[in-house]
Formats: sequence, structure tokens, C-alpha cells
Amino acid sequence: MAPGSSRPRSRASTLVALLATATLLITGCSAQNNSLAEQANAGDNKNYIAGDGSVAEYAPGTRSEPVDVMGELYDGTTVDSSQWVGDVVVLNVWYAACAPCRVEAPMLQTLSSSFAPEGVRFYGINVRDEKSTAEAFERNFGITYPSFVDRDGKLLLSLTSYVPPQAVPTTLVLDRQGRVSARILGVADESTLKTLIADALAEDGPAAPPNPSTTAGTDDAS
Amino acid sequence: MPANPSSGQTPRQTPGQTAEDAPGQAPDQGLDSRPDQTPDISVSSLSAGEMLRWVWRQLTSMRTALQLLLLLAVAAVPGSLFPQRRANPAVVTQYLKDNPDTGRWLDRLQMFDVFSSVWFSAIYLLLFTSLVGCVLPRTKAHLKALRSAPPRTPRRFARLPQHGTIVLNGDGAGTPGPDPATAVKDAAAILRKLRYRVDIRDADTATPSVGAERGFMKEAGNLLFHTALIGVLVSVAIGGMFGYRGQKLIVEGEGFTNALIGYDSFSPGTNFNPDTLTPFALTLNDFEVRFNRDEQATYGQPLDFTARMTVQESPDQPAEDRVLKVNAPIGIGGTNVYLVGNGYAPVVEVRDGEGNIAFSGPVPSQPTDTAYTSTIVIKAPDANPDQLGFVGFFLPTAVVNSEGLAFGSDPDPFNPRLNLNSYYGDLGLDDGTPRSVYQLDTTDLTQLNGRDLAAGGIVLEPGQTYELPDGRGSITFDSLKRFVALDITYDPGKIGALIFSTLALTGLILSLITARRRVWIKAGATPEGGTTLEYGLLARGEDPSLRNEATKLEQALSARWGITSRSDEQKKPLPSPDTPQHI
Repeated sequence: MAPGSSRPRSRASTLVALLATATLLITGCSAQNNSLAEQANAGDNKNYIAGDGSVAEYAPGTRSEPVDVMGELYDGTTVDSSQWVGDVVVLNVWYAACAPCRVEAPMLQTLSSSFAPEGVRFYGINVRDEKSTAEAFERNFGITYPSFVDRDGKLLLSLTSYVPPQAVPTTLVLDRQGRVSARILGVADESTLKTLIADALAEDGPAAPPNPSTTAGTDDAS
Repeated sequence: MPANPSSGQTPRQTPGQTAEDAPGQAPDQGLDSRPDQTPDISVSSLSAGEMLRWVWRQLTSMRTALQLLLLLAVAAVPGSLFPQRRANPAVVTQYLKDNPDTGRWLDRLQMFDVFSSVWFSAIYLLLFTSLVGCVLPRTKAHLKALRSAPPRTPRRFARLPQHGTIVLNGDGAGTPGPDPATAVKDAAAILRKLRYRVDIRDADTATPSVGAERGFMKEAGNLLFHTALIGVLVSVAIGGMFGYRGQKLIVEGEGFTNALIGYDSFSPGTNFNPDTLTPFALTLNDFEVRFNRDEQATYGQPLDFTARMTVQESPDQPAEDRVLKVNAPIGIGGTNVYLVGNGYAPVVEVRDGEGNIAFSGPVPSQPTDTAYTSTIVIKAPDANPDQLGFVGFFLPTAVVNSEGLAFGSDPDPFNPRLNLNSYYGDLGLDDGTPRSVYQLDTTDLTQLNGRDLAAGGIVLEPGQTYELPDGRGSITFDSLKRFVALDITYDPGKIGALIFSTLALTGLILSLITARRRVWIKAGATPEGGTTLEYGLLARGEDPSLRNEATKLEQALSARWGITSRSDEQKKPLPSPDTPQHI
């Protein structure tokens, strides 16, 4: 079985193809994965998965179904997402000892106050803290919007069907129909979040948009 | 490379044999499949194409594959010498801190990421390529060998390692012996019964013969082994690409949702997509640890860990109760939840200088020995006017020695004590820097309590409260809970790896227990009008059992015809190692 002249060439090209495929498979990972891998390798015991600050805005046609979630606030009130129809809602996942959450807390409070006249609802989703710890955080940062207690992760579980929150903090913007219109993984930038909320406000609601004109002038993020 | 290492066999080889023998050559190189007949050309005279061909032939030789396999094993050694990020990144971070000089170089050499390092991957990929390049042509050759007839009958049987002659002279009572054609036909039937593939040739001539071959399962098993090895490599790669592994610590009464947000730490596969996490939820209802209380020698050693959990496999499925034990993971879809650790989480309440509760809840401590002597760090970042931090240890059963030092004497919480030092100032969390929850960075903190300070250390029993000096707040040890540390892994390649490693083992066993043999029987006439049956056997490689096979064959032939006389050329002793004996 003397080697034929054509066979080794085809073998060599097979080798090249294999190596190329392998390289592609090995290097074909996304930015979020790189951030995840970096965090995994950091070994800093920070005990949360941080976001890389990536922002995803979903065009109306590509959005998920309206979010259908229910949860309990720290004050004991039960809140159902059906109560949100017609309003833009901002959901922020946090807990007190999470360093990036502490960074963005003042900004969230500012935005929640400034968008209050337009009926934008802000809710925190606290994934770890007991009531008094959460209240200490709210007192410390002067947070006035309420937070869901989600220590068992039930609210998060139902949210994963729409857009999974993939980091602490994660900020979600829901449009007037309750669909996720934007997601920020990691510390939210004030002007970015402001724009995202303003964009959602500018859209029409499901049936009769409550205040279609009030959004004008809010989209001033540079 | 020697010009022709297999030249020992060439004189005997007839041209017709060459093609079918090729896959079985060079048997003393173990599994080598290829004739090592590359002409001895000096490298400088090779053109680029020839060079590539030469490299390819080297790479795909089974010798190279075995060397790569060995190299892979050697390359895995640093993985057990140095801490690995994949196993525990925190240990690596500590190692780098402790050995900044050597650590930096080791890190550059990827000694902390052995299994994803460039050099390990290179060996892995070369091995993969080598196996594929070897198995494909070999399978082709084997299929061809299966279809083709046993090799030509050799002219001189004396050269075969086992050979002999049987003379069929009739029974001496006047009945003549069989004619050569009948004898060969009968011999073929006997060989067939011995599970040989037979081929009768020259049936109409004076010297008809039969060629027989058996043991094709050896090569088939061999091919199965190597193909399955490729399968194992592919499965492991799939696991590495699409799998993930995460850690989560849950205190009794708390839960976990399988979303990235729920994890304490998380290692994704290279092609992992975070949107594909199976959305299940777990709640730890209670955790029970049983320690040995019966035997003196093993007193206080853990006997059993039982975590009772409520599992909801998806948002729209009802929750059900499941039990999690060590080495008995809970499987949810393809995801497995393992119980890998446990400890105590004292429930504490911290009040700040303004009298408000700044922190309240269970704080997992890290056990450091079998008595569950645990280190603990409590942070109250929302305390005002200053943030408060506590560091110390928790003892489930505290005993104070004569020097006033407390130590843990039992893993069960018979006499739980929280021993703490306290600090106030800046915990360093507010600027967004990730901080270890198990360490207190005291750079910007001022110590309030400690053994060396006037205020002394803080010692708390459950239910007790300690007022911090200077009215800076208080800390209360409310109660005690246990926590479990979970490892949540998803490895889509696991089942494949199991199947392929089973197949590899099956193939290996097949190839080891199957003996590949060739037998030729040639009939001829004696001058006295009788018939001779000349037989010869050939094995691949050195095969001591070939002699038994020869005896068996001879007995079968003798029994068939009730042998009257034998030739004196009987079974030779085992061939000496230098005797050429290739098939």
C-alpha cells in the first residue's frame, strides 16, 4: 500500500479543516462569556455574578410576551404585574452587600423621582436580604420605591421565561404592555437608562395610551 | 528512520499478499497499524507537499497516538500539583498572593488552567487528529480485508512457526486413504468448525490447498477502541463547550433559582449560552447532619448528611420534595445538583450607632476543621454613621482552656459561641469594588473590639447582645442555622463519555482476547499412493498459544481420518524471538 499521490493531499486538507473547526469552536465565545469566565477565574469570593454593563434594547417586534409575575413587597403588599398595564416599569435586581448595587442606588432613586410624574413605576427585586437589612439599605440611600422580597427566587424564576436577569445588578425596562424592552447587565449608566425609559414611554400603550404627550422633552440623554 | 525495519518479512511475502497484509504489519509495535516503510529520504530533499505528507504519516501512526496519549497523561500532572482555577479560583488567587514571583510565571505558563491551557489543548487536538487520521484508513483496510479471501498458500510450510505433515495411508485394512481433493475439502470443513474463514484453491490440481483465517474481531475491536476514544474526546469537548458549573450556598429556609443571578460563582463552558439555563428553583427546607456518637475511635465524625429540598423543575410545574445527599445528586433535566459542603450560619442582628437595624440575617461561616471551628465575617454596610464590620470565629461547642482561649471540641452545636472582633469605618463596598464575603479588608477600618484592646473581644451565646464601645451600635446572636454548599453542573457530554468509554473498553477486551491466525493445509500424494496433508499456522506477533492451536488442529485432522502414520516433522518448539513470524 504505497501512498498514492492524491491521498495524502486530501488527508492534509482534512487536517487543516479539522484544526480550523477546532479553533473556531474554541474561540467562538461571546463577550458575556468572557466576562463570566474572567469572573470565574478571579477567585475573589465576591459571591455574585456581576454584569459587564452590556445594554440590550429590544425593538417592539422582537420583544417577549408581556411579563406575568407576582410577588410580595417588603411591606407585605402583593403586587401583580397585571396592575402595571399601561405604565412603563423599571425592575432592578439588587441586594445590600452587592458592591455595584450600592454604586447605582443613588442614580436609580434620582430617576425614579424624575420619572414619577410620567407614571413610571420603579421596583427593586431583592434576591438575598431580610427585611431589616433591605430597609437599612433603603434608609441609607434614601430609596423611596418599593422592593420585592425574592429570597426564594420565585419571582426571578418566572422572569427567566421572558428575559433572564443574568447578573447582579440587572435592570429591566418593561414597556406599556409589560414586555421587556431593555435589559442592562451590571451597573446601569444614568443617561443610558434614562434614554431606555424615555424610549419606552414614547411608545404607544396596549389600547388607550394614558399620557401620550408627556414623554416629549425627556429624551435629552446625550 | 531505518530504511526498512520490516525487511525481515519481505522474502516470504508474495506480491499478492502485500495489500491485505498492510494493516497487520509491524505487530511488535503493539497497535501500530501502518507499515513503517517510508523511504529514507533526507528531509532537505522533500518538497512542501512531501513534507506535509511525511508529517501527516508521522502524526497518524499509532505510535505517535500512544505517545500523545502518554503525553496527555503527563501534561495533566501539573493539574494536581498546582491549584486549579476551575476547581477553586479563590485558592489560586491566594496562591498568587502568597507567591507573587513564581506564581506570576506559573500563571503565564497556564499552570493554574492546565486543562484549558494552550499546550494541553495542543496535545489533545493532535491526539484527536492522529486518531481520526489513523482510524479512517485502517477501517477501510479492514473492510477490504473482510471482503477478500485468505492469503495465498505459501510454497514452503517449513518457514511457518507451526507446521507439520499428516500422512493418510488408509486404515491398513485395504481401504485406501482419501484422495487429495476430498482431504482438503474435509480439512476445510474442520477449519470452518474451528471458526475460520476458509478458501479452497487449486481444487482440480494434484496439490489442492485451503487457506483459512480467523480473528477479525481483533482488528474490529481495535478499531472500535480507537473510534470510541475519539468519541470520548468529542464528548468531553462538548461538555467543555456547552456545559457549565456553578456554586451556590443556601441557608436553611432559603432558595435558589437557576439563573446566573442566583449563583455565588459560575464557570461557563466556552460556548455556553446563559439564556439556556434550565429554569428550576430549589429551597432548602432543612439540613440534617449525623455524627458518630457510638464509637470511641471515630467519635464525632460525620456519618450522614441529608438535605431536604423542595424542587420546582420549571416555572409552570408543581414543586416536589426531594432529598439531596453526598454522592446522590438531584438531577433536574440534564443539570445535576451536588451537595459539596455544609456549615453553620449564625443568625445575627447588627444595630448601628443611630439605633437602627443595619443588618439582620444568617451569615454563613466557613468551617476549618472537623469540629466545625468556623471563620466568620459580618458586614453591615448600611450602618450609620459608620459602617460596621465583624470578623472572628464561630464554635459549635466551645470549650475554654486554662489560658482563657476558646476552642471548638465538637461539631454539633452543644455550646455555640460567636467570638468576634469589631471594626468601624469604610468596608470598601460603596465604590463598586468586588470584595470577598469571607474577608474583611481592614485598610479603612478602625478596630473597636479585640483581645488586645481595652474593650476586649466579643463573645456571644445565642440570644445575647453586645453593645459596641462608644455607642457605635450593638450585635445580637439570635439563633443558629445550617447551610449547604451546592455544586450545580451541566455536562451535556457526560452520557456520551460514558457510552464511548464503555465501547472503548469493549473494543479493547475484544482486541485482547481475540487471536488472529492464519492456517494453510495443502494436500499432496505420497509415492506409495497415500495422501499427505501439510499444515502450517501463522499468528500475528508472538503468540505462545499458537502451539495449542496447532495441536488442536492436528488432533482434529487425526481424529477425522484415524491417523496411521505421522511425519517426524512435528511441532517445533516455540520460535525464538528473532524468528521472523509476521503474517
